[in-house]
Amino acid sequence: MLAEIFSDYTLRIVSIGSILLGIISGTLGTYAVLRKQSLIGDMVSHAALPGIGLSFLIIGSKNTEWLLLGAFIAAWIATIIVNTIYRNSRIKYDSALGMILAVFFGFGLVLLSYIQKIPNANQAGLENFLFGQASTLLERDIILMAIIAVFTIISVILFWKEFKLLSFDSDFADIIGFSTDKLDLILTTLIVIAVVVGLQSVGVVLMSAMLIAPAVASRQWTDKLSIMIILSSTFGALSGVIGTIISSSIPKMPTGPIIVMVVTIIAFISMLFAPKRGLIWRRIKDYYNKKELGANMVLNNLYSLYKNHGEDFHPHDLDTICLHHTGIIHSKRMLKRELHKLEILGLAKEYENGNWAITQKGLDKMESIFFEDGRDIV
Amino acid sequence: MVKKLSIMIITILMLSILLIGCDSNRQSTQEIDNDKLNIVATTTIIGDTVRKIGGDKINLQVLMGPGIDPHLYKASAGDVNKMQKADLLIYNGLHLEGKMGDIFEQLQKTNKNTYAVADVIDPNNLIESEEFAGSYDPHIWFDVQLWMEVVEGIKDTLINIDPGNKDYYSENTLRYLKELEDLNNYIKSRTDELPEAKRVLITAHDAFSYFGKAYGFQVKGLQGLSTATEAGTADVRDLADFIATREIPAIFIESSVPSKNMEALKKAVESRNFSVEIGGELFSDSLGTPGTEEGTYIGTVKHNINTIVDGLLQ
Amino acid sequence: MEDYIVKVNDMTVVYHKKPVLWDVDLKIPPGLLMAIVGPNGAGKSTLIKAMLGLVKPTTGKTTFWGDSYEKQRKKIGYVPQRGSVDWDFPTDVLDVVTMGTYGELGWIKRPGKRERDLAIKAIEKVDMLSFMDRQISQLSGGQQQRVFLARALVQDADIYFMDEPFQGVDAKTERAIISLLEELKNRGKTVVVVHHDLQTVPEYFDWVVLLNRVIIETGPIDKVFTEENLKRTYRSSHENLYRKRDVM
Repeated sequence: MLAEIFSDYTLRIVSIGSILLGIISGTLGTYAVLRKQSLIGDMVSHAALPGIGLSFLIIGSKNTEWLLLGAFIAAWIATIIVNTIYRNSRIKYDSALGMILAVFFGFGLVLLSYIQKIPNANQAGLENFLFGQASTLLERDIILMAIIAVFTIISVILFWKEFKLLSFDSDFADIIGFSTDKLDLILTTLIVIAVVVGLQSVGVVLMSAMLIAPAVASRQWTDKLSIMIILSSTFGALSGVIGTIISSSIPKMPTGPIIVMVVTIIAFISMLFAPKRGLIWRRIKDYYNKKELGANMVLNNLYSLYKNHGEDFHPHDLDTICLHHTGIIHSKRMLKRELHKLEILGLAKEYENGNWAITQKGLDKMESIFFEDGRDIV
Repeated sequence: MVKKLSIMIITILMLSILLIGCDSNRQSTQEIDNDKLNIVATTTIIGDTVRKIGGDKINLQVLMGPGIDPHLYKASAGDVNKMQKADLLIYNGLHLEGKMGDIFEQLQKTNKNTYAVADVIDPNNLIESEEFAGSYDPHIWFDVQLWMEVVEGIKDTLINIDPGNKDYYSENTLRYLKELEDLNNYIKSRTDELPEAKRVLITAHDAFSYFGKAYGFQVKGLQGLSTATEAGTADVRDLADFIATREIPAIFIESSVPSKNMEALKKAVESRNFSVEIGGELFSDSLGTPGTEEGTYIGTVKHNINTIVDGLLQ
Repeated sequence: MEDYIVKVNDMTVVYHKKPVLWDVDLKIPPGLLMAIVGPNGAGKSTLIKAMLGLVKPTTGKTTFWGDSYEKQRKKIGYVPQRGSVDWDFPTDVLDVVTMGTYGELGWIKRPGKRERDLAIKAIEKVDMLSFMDRQISQLSGGQQQRVFLARALVQDADIYFMDEPFQGVDAKTERAIISLLEELKNRGKTVVVVHHDLQTVPEYFDWVVLLNRVIIETGPIDKVFTEENLKRTYRSSHENLYRKRDVM
């Protein structure tokens, strides 16, 4: 099945298109997600719809280039309007996005239904932009996507530090002389282009997932921006290929939605299993921390008792040790178990009458815990 | 400046939505004629046929224009209005009008007269869908003989509701059936020009199964029975293999389906070192431009068979 | 002392029809540590932001050495509030501090060895050398503050504006920062700090600006930082606005 990617013409074209889309949306989506503008992809893709309809009405052709141009113009105007509303009113950014998304998309649907009434307009197929139809990509579509991919990569490389600064601290960027308006415009324009390009493959409704999911996935695996961008593009491209392969092995299976499903699964797996940030990893770490903390809490108690007695190795009975702090130790039996563990490590010592006290080694360990991690916990 | 422009654009957008919405409502109330039988038909094909039978004793409105895909067509508020005010609604049935099923049900519940032309046909003569058992292929009109049954069914329905014009309807029907008989023979004679091995018809979606069954063509469509299903890459690949192996000289685009699909198919075939032509445009789910020969059922069917045979004769 | 390097004239900032700053005149002399104090909502952050062009004032002009901010950018350093940034951003300490060199580099040019060395020097100054490659999300509040400080120091500006640099910072870090500021002053730099802790104002600073939407008083600590003035500053701002109108 894998070999068919190379041998079969259609599979080849669709894979290349999906890979290009994955790279573009993964790269740009990283910045969108880091700037907390994840929903911008959603707004842009929905706002493109009336552009497609209007372009068809005005130009009268179903040529992909014209339709995409119309989509671009409509989406671009929408972003300008959103920014204007945001800057000149009390409305929050999210709300402005949502509003414009609804108005433009609604208008787009109205246009589509109006168009379907026009006789002989040969308008069939405009609705395909809603969900995409990847299997009908042609070579010239791929060439367009390749040009845009190259353009995107060049921009990101060229403006590497500028985009990083813009995403991290835009106020500082303004202060030291980088026009955040211009930078924002470049980045937003690139995102609009990316979305428009993706419309043919995944469609309006699903495009925002392509911008968000790869970036969210990649963030879980790395703390370096450069790696994050590379990983994000890789995840995007990978989803494209896998989605294409899966959908091609089942007849009548649409490609776009499968790609989106794959990339979403990648995101979920990353969120669960990535080291350091993954949920499962953190659960496991918490579990071990708690266990260690259990022992540490007992040690802590012994330490406090030591301090309270004017720094004296006076042994205390189990009840006292139990009561001093509420916490993980629920039963005397557990307490005894923890104490024995500490004894093995040489941190506590059992005296006659079943009483316990901390040892010098235990003291040293407590002091070292306080100054762990270079942080002043005190 | 940008601010003012933005406000202007949003206002224009919102106004247009209102205007377009209102406009369609206005039109519908003008078309009711109380002296004649008011009929609403869904597709152009049905519309043309009903007109041939009903003549000028009926007031006919057709919802979909030429080139419009009935599988995807969504009825507007204006359309529903028309359907409610009419004396009779005639539609295809068998879920051809895929997105209007609920509306038909509603109308039936409120005791409006509705008639599905496919009802007259014996289910044994219908082609069952491969994927969904119990569901049938709705593209019955390209088997002229089946369509002749439909004509009779429509005539009976009209007479039922408007018995006063019984003779008029019957006369028109007889005349029209004769024309259809000629058409059927024409198709058969043109088909004979093609050697059997060449009788393979590749189109954008499975709209021609009845045609194939009736006139001896093997028929394959890229998309399924409904244009709502997307063609997957596997479908393109399999079809391209088929075309290249059987060395079929021509594939056909449809007027109501985007031609890009066939273009992609063509390129796929070419990568298998076989050159296939786009043989021409067929009318599949709709008639051609009104006012031309192809604007009628007979004209459309003739155009189709001519295009097919000429294309495959290469 | 009469040679003022920064002059603010008639600055008013209106936000949603309410004046956040009203008719503010300010003159900043060189070579000292200056504190801007006032109650919450007094417009302290806004004042700095409006001076630096981050916020557009309704009226008012600010000059730096007689020129506009854009022309004197290179001589002006800024340390924003710690909360103004998402510290979960994928970057490390060295990277953030290096951002201080971007202004000098201009568009497209990448930071090289020279910039890296400058950054490391600044990191050393704030005693964060051992954290150079640390992810910024793993830093404590005090450490984050020091990173921002280092970023500003890299520019080697002549005047620094700092927005609440001592907020949420432990005693040790606070002492470290103050000694750094003292060092800057000794080298002839000027430092303007939005400060929230009245107790430490006389100890740390030479000059104070008492602000509550309008300037209550500004001048050297011993003259201006009096109980009477503080009472006036921390009174309801409404009254202060009316006061101002009476005077006019």
